Amino acid sequence: MKVSLKFHLPLSHLSSHPLMEDPNPQTASTNARMKLNVGGKLFETTVSTLHSGGPDSLLSALSNRPTGDANSIFIDRDPEIFSVLLSLLRSNRLPSTARRFSKQELADEALYYGIESRLKSAVSPPSLCGIDASIVATIRPTSDGFVSAFTSGDGDGSVWIAHGGQISSYDWNLLHTGTVRTHLEEITSICRVYSELAALGSDSAAGLHFYDFSGNRNVGSVHWRDPSDPRIFKARVSAIADSTDSVFAAFYCPHKENSILVIDKSTLQVQSELGRYTGGSAKNLVPGKLTWLPETGLLFGSSITCGAFGFSGYIRLWDPRSGKVVWEMNEPGSGRSGRGGGPFSAVDVDAEESSIFKVCSKSGDLGMADLRNLGDDPWVYLQESNPSLRVTVTCGAFGFSGYIRLWDPRSGKVVWEMNEPGSGRSGRFGDPFSAVDVDAEESSIFKVCSKSGDLGMADLRNLGDDPWVYLQESNPSLRVTGGVGGYSVIHCYKKQVFVGRDGSLEVWSRVENGKVEREKENGVCEGLYRRNFVDRLEDSERGIIEKIEGGGDRLFVCRRESEGIEVWESSNSSTVVSVL
Amino acid sequence: MPPFGGSVPSSYGSNSSNSSDSNIITIDVGGQLFQTTKQTLALAGPDSLFARVSEPPISSSHHSVPFVDRDPELFSVFLSLLRTGNLPSKARVFDIQDLIFESRFYGVEDLLINSVSNPSQFEAYNLERSAILSMNGRDSPSAIVTTPFGSVHVAHGSKITSFDWSLRKKRTILTQFAAVDSMLAISPSVVAAGATDFSGLQILDLENGSVKKTLSWENVTRSSSTVQAIGSNQESLFVSFESGRRNSNSIVVYDLHSLRPVTEIAHNEIYGAEINSAIPATKLNWVSGNSLLMASGSHSGPSGVSGNIKFWDVRSGNIVWELKENVDCFSDVTVSDNLSSMFKVGVNSGEVFFADLRNLGAENPWVCLGDGRIAYNGKKEGVGCKIESHGSQVFCSKAGDIELWSEVAMGSVKNSEDELGERVFRKNLMGKMKDMGGSRITNLAFGGNKMFVTRKDQQSVEVWQSSSGGF
Repeated sequence: MKVSLKFHLPLSHLSSHPLMEDPNPQTASTNARMKLNVGGKLFETTVSTLHSGGPDSLLSALSNRPTGDANSIFIDRDPEIFSVLLSLLRSNRLPSTARRFSKQELADEALYYGIESRLKSAVSPPSLCGIDASIVATIRPTSDGFVSAFTSGDGDGSVWIAHGGQISSYDWNLLHTGTVRTHLEEITSICRVYSELAALGSDSAAGLHFYDFSGNRNVGSVHWRDPSDPRIFKARVSAIADSTDSVFAAFYCPHKENSILVIDKSTLQVQSELGRYTGGSAKNLVPGKLTWLPETGLLFGSSITCGAFGFSGYIRLWDPRSGKVVWEMNEPGSGRSGRGGGPFSAVDVDAEESSIFKVCSKSGDLGMADLRNLGDDPWVYLQESNPSLRVTVTCGAFGFSGYIRLWDPRSGKVVWEMNEPGSGRSGRFGDPFSAVDVDAEESSIFKVCSKSGDLGMADLRNLGDDPWVYLQESNPSLRVTGGVGGYSVIHCYKKQVFVGRDGSLEVWSRVENGKVEREKENGVCEGLYRRNFVDRLEDSERGIIEKIEGGGDRLFVCRRESEGIEVWESSNSSTVVSVL
Repeated sequence: MPPFGGSVPSSYGSNSSNSSDSNIITIDVGGQLFQTTKQTLALAGPDSLFARVSEPPISSSHHSVPFVDRDPELFSVFLSLLRTGNLPSKARVFDIQDLIFESRFYGVEDLLINSVSNPSQFEAYNLERSAILSMNGRDSPSAIVTTPFGSVHVAHGSKITSFDWSLRKKRTILTQFAAVDSMLAISPSVVAAGATDFSGLQILDLENGSVKKTLSWENVTRSSSTVQAIGSNQESLFVSFESGRRNSNSIVVYDLHSLRPVTEIAHNEIYGAEINSAIPATKLNWVSGNSLLMASGSHSGPSGVSGNIKFWDVRSGNIVWELKENVDCFSDVTVSDNLSSMFKVGVNSGEVFFADLRNLGAENPWVCLGDGRIAYNGKKEGVGCKIESHGSQVFCSKAGDIELWSEVAMGSVKNSEDELGERVFRKNLMGKMKDMGGSRITNLAFGGNKMFVTRKDQQSVEVWQSSSGGF
């Protein structure tokens, strides 16, 4: 008579049936013991452990086989990897011995045994928490490493990267799973329509193109054509979004006529057209960003341009069913709000929280608008009260250093002070000024950077922690910005707002507890959000952040003029560096 | 500990009721057989899996071997731990995370902690800088607090990151503070946190980041108050508050478990120019040898730094001893129960002083432990120095270095009748040459067998550990 016992983590389980006498040892009861011979090494476990890999796994199938007492099942695989996977089944975590094997080996072997889902749940990072995230990897495609667009789809942390006309796909393990060469020379917008189907657009070639990853081929193209209007030709795609049954693509023609086409996902044919604009002014340029809001069934589109007079642009919400604009907001607006003269330089929408966030181009403030409560001036500005974020002066002994101060002669106090090298929030950290002057008429301070030679300007009426605005003349590709102000990108993900300002990455996260009482007190959300840097100073020096996107529990960051994309994750494990 | 119990005939006498046969337990772990005794397994405690295995149900057949579906190699480590009380050296093959996880399964995590991170393994003379715990983001630690078995909570910016006793797991929460200035661990996952620029003391749950309770104090004008210092003893929590307008301060005593206010001592309302009462306590130490609360605070004025150290009898609310610090005021002060002395760093001289708590109430109790040639040239050598006591040693940071002060037991000193013998303290600089210097030290904390050090502008915590006790 064979008697077996299986211990589960909750110890009470043991006492509920202290010893189970197996009535029939020949059939595989869940508590029955199993002997496995893997590559010559004997393992003993229980049927329920093997079953925990899922009903369709190889191990489940093997354990269902009636076995004689003496015989063990022979599996002709490596025993060492199996012992790691058996530990995974027993304890739901990977033992440290797993480090001896590559991610690829583990994934392949887990696939063989059919327990990939268990491996996936054990190695996935914990939920992304912007205040505690660090860079874990940089994905560098082997050829044409400069990333022109990327999308993180499926919510499992996988990512598709467009680089040099190719799309490379990286799975949840960040392992390279395939590359497709497209006919496009440069892909500037990408959207994952189905798990194997990508919608692509380019700044340099007309049309929206669908590529199938499994078949490695082009499965369709959509062009914006209108026989009645000769101005509509060679329409290119600037932004793509998708809902469950439609793809939305913003098309624009060489003479700036633009429209959003709604494409049916199943037929890949044009369904309808959402508005048509001439593109004559900033208010009716093609949107540079499209986001589908599943909760309200609306399409969010925004456009930001930078001209000689600063930033301008719009935010619109369309209802695709009626084809109408539900809400619209133009900046610079009529100046009702406190930031009337400070239009946004970046904007994003958070579908989960039903909020729109923007970064003001002048003050650098973060503005928030509630989608459920949009009015004339929906913006609420989030303020940071942490003084240490405002002034962090570390005067170095190397290179240029110095300060600018404004004294009030009546009180004899320093009203405002700026030290260089300063807090390094701007991309010009390590680039102190070599000459400085103040223009009393224009109320501006000008400086010349000692290394890059750039000209920086600060508005005296609007001095903050980083008042400098850098004037650039060299960059001809002023598609979105680049003329005035720091480059900022903004991305809302998992109820957090990630803002890239030049090279630095910051996060605005909600303080859970302050919410209720504070909202009652003064009706605004000041103090509701708190700002923290995600990165370290040295991270911000790797280049200007061009795009931020969250996927699964990962944050992907792409920087200008650097190869590959960075992967940021939160971790429960601390980073202990031995210094012995 | 009976490692041979039941296995040899000599043990017959010790086990009166059980035969030697039934005293031996055989367990099958993952296909490998282990044999041990009931007594060894019983050491794991009644709630552990080991205890359950050693009690086979009556109904079972006699020859059944209990089967545990776990890794046999890890099991052998814990069996050795039970047998000897120490982790075997082969445990170093495993990652500590594996051992912790497995110990939770068997219900013997306490034994593991005891053998790896026991406060009794703290060896002051044998500490070396062994690891750096880095923090994400750009804020350097402002406050640090430990629990007895070596888990540590680090406040940096508006965040608090907690590390478990093995320092391998961390968790970060966001607080409402811009920066936390004082922190105290109430239980392993609950801290009291306060700031000098934020009203009220918050009791924070580090598991989910929620505020369990906010404790605040209001003066007569009902203005909000900030937290200047936190201290505790076994049953009470002491909080030094200062009103927002800085015109009154107080020390409130709370019950540590219910967090209800018990009494209020040291309430000062400031009228006029009486500078001494305007100084709130910025450090609270419980002196268990004398059952007194030491509250110290200092103030920097045009005529230099002045301060006071008060010893409070909490029950009666009376000051037992008050020391006014006008000449070479302390930059930091601490008290050591084991040495029954208090120690300070002079703000001007930068020297370490000690005062014997056995002659409480003396006029000028301070004895300089430095070279004594104090030059009052207005220099502030001791600014930013920290002094903390742990065990029988006193640790004093000066800029980037740490001095370790210890008392030398002098057997030859004659015990005069009424006067206490002269005490001898000597210092050592801690660390190897490569560890010395560095940025100014901002915090020193002790937990388990480790010392934790934070430095200015470093987004990390240094871990100092004795080389033998490390894992």
